[in-house]
Amino acid sequence: MATSDSISEVTTPSAAPGNGLLVLLAAMTAEQLESVLVSLTASFPAESLVIASPDPFPEDFDPSVRIVAAPPASPSWTRTAADFVSASQLAEKNQARAILMLGAESGSLAPSSIRTLADAVLTTPTDLAVPCYQLPPHAGLVNSAILYPLTRALFASRARFPLAVDLGLSLRMAQRLAGAAHRFTAANQGEAPLWPVNEATVAGFSIDQFDVGPRAQPQPGGPDLNSILPLVTGSLFADIDAKAAFWQRYRELPPPSDPVPHAPSTDAPADIAPMLHAFRLAYSNLQEVWSLVLPPNSLLGLKRLSTTDGDLFRMPESLWARIVFDFLLAYRLRTINRGHLLGALIPLYLAWVASHINITASGADPEAHIEAVAAAFEADKTYLVSRWRWPDRFNP
Amino acid sequence: MQHMLAMILQPAPGQTSQPPYAANTTVWHHMSDALHQSLDRVLSLLIAILPGILAFIAALAVFTLIGMAVSALLRRALTAARFDDYLARGRGASEWAPSTSPTALVARASFWASILLGLVIGVSAFDAAYATATALPSSLLPYLTRVVGAGFLLIAGSLFARYLARSVLIGAVNEQLQYARFLSLGVKWLVLVLTAAMVLDHLQMGGNVVALAFGILFGGIVLTLALAVGLGSRDLVSRSLESHAEHPTERGAPYPDAPPAGSGESIRHF
Repeated sequence: MATSDSISEVTTPSAAPGNGLLVLLAAMTAEQLESVLVSLTASFPAESLVIASPDPFPEDFDPSVRIVAAPPASPSWTRTAADFVSASQLAEKNQARAILMLGAESGSLAPSSIRTLADAVLTTPTDLAVPCYQLPPHAGLVNSAILYPLTRALFASRARFPLAVDLGLSLRMAQRLAGAAHRFTAANQGEAPLWPVNEATVAGFSIDQFDVGPRAQPQPGGPDLNSILPLVTGSLFADIDAKAAFWQRYRELPPPSDPVPHAPSTDAPADIAPMLHAFRLAYSNLQEVWSLVLPPNSLLGLKRLSTTDGDLFRMPESLWARIVFDFLLAYRLRTINRGHLLGALIPLYLAWVASHINITASGADPEAHIEAVAAAFEADKTYLVSRWRWPDRFNP
Repeated sequence: MQHMLAMILQPAPGQTSQPPYAANTTVWHHMSDALHQSLDRVLSLLIAILPGILAFIAALAVFTLIGMAVSALLRRALTAARFDDYLARGRGASEWAPSTSPTALVARASFWASILLGLVIGVSAFDAAYATATALPSSLLPYLTRVVGAGFLLIAGSLFARYLARSVLIGAVNEQLQYARFLSLGVKWLVLVLTAAMVLDHLQMGGNVVALAFGILFGGIVLTLALAVGLGSRDLVSRSLESHAEHPTERGAPYPDAPPAGSGESIRHF
């Protein structure tokens, strides 16, 4: 994993006007916007910058920086297909050489981190620069439980945050993503998430990951977990389904880098009782649905879990990997309605969260546990490939 | 055949008819006549509708063959034109995307469309033959169409009941409602009762009794559900109202599992 370079070490990007960096900002507060603009103008020559933001710029902002009108702010908390279409169109219109997309609350990013992401696509052959955030131990749990392990196992990428809101894109990467995004925008699904790491891997583009330190993560606004989790996992499952011909082949995983540091937590451990209650309630009610999706061995594992006391509650990594793979297979085969399927995954995810909190509360490093989960996904990939190709084969 | 039946029913010629049985002979004679006439009517109806049946079978067979040919042609043409790849490029991650390849779907649809066309033509030929055959007091065919319609209603209702029951079950479990299964069962039976009433009404069976029974049953289930949910969530509602009264401006936690402030470390799913 590349680490963030200090500002003084970075070479100055091309200062040729119309041949520089397009910075596409998400909607943010005036204070955050000012902070980001200060970081950008301090890191890059004003002539090489083209900044697009849906928010009004401060009146005293440097007039030598080119400002372009950005499309209206997307209400989504993450990057959507429409964002990538806009980024590509703006880059083409302004003849930008690379694009830096900064998500909501990016004012909390260190200036050096912003510069690192931009320089990766401006001065190196990197096509996709993805950040690696330093988050509190129990933040970004959907990413740790599902998105990261699945992306790593199937696309052989160690990108720790596949759904990162801050990205550095080369021009060809932006065009590739816009092409993929057109499928959604044409179907009036511009708010659908897109998976840049998967796209870059399939296209054979180079991906680099950079430690960017702590960052305030934008959170979904309106709906709760019951709506967002099916949306995100459904989108990833659909992307995996569309790229099945790619990931079924064996690919070597890049060597591991330094472990991601977690921001220290001073609070008392989180209360897992509501999550365990949700899991046990689901176990007593959703047997009929789970039995359509999961093999008997996994159901037996869940039965054991349902009778385990709170302090001893541990979901084995292999069981979680098998559960996610079986749900992915059921999504592909349409064993049951996809909305029902993804809804039935929520209590199982909460059980994993409870287990993860227990494990970290016992002194284990959260990142070590997440890496163990990802390794379990990798180890079980043969099962997924086998059942993907021959779904009707006997499955104990 | 008529003569044979008459001969069977008539006494043997060698037998001497006794005076006490003279009236019986007349009865036998009348019965024989009635049976002859009935047999005549049925045979003439069968003979009259036989061309219709043959036309139905022929239309079905011909259109099945046409459907197979059209399906095979379409399959080859679409495969050659890379129709699947074209659609895959233009298709987003839609919930309603087909599970099989679009080419196979189009080929299958064309085949079944041909069969359906054959069925329609066959039935209309049969209907024409049946109508011209006789004005016999028989309402079998119209009733058969009603039975088929009722069958479709029953299947659709059962599928819809299962879908709704599962939706309610999963939604209620994720909302952590203790009576999730009960709620799901209630919804399922509501839809099934509604379906049963519609089927009986379509079959024109029962008349007002069905409507009345349906109203009572439907109302009973709704009332039971309302009472159960109301009584079951009484504490929940009162707690919610109390918390609203105490903290009128406080917004609810975004996630059901997020612990209350100050109770421990916060969990962020995203």
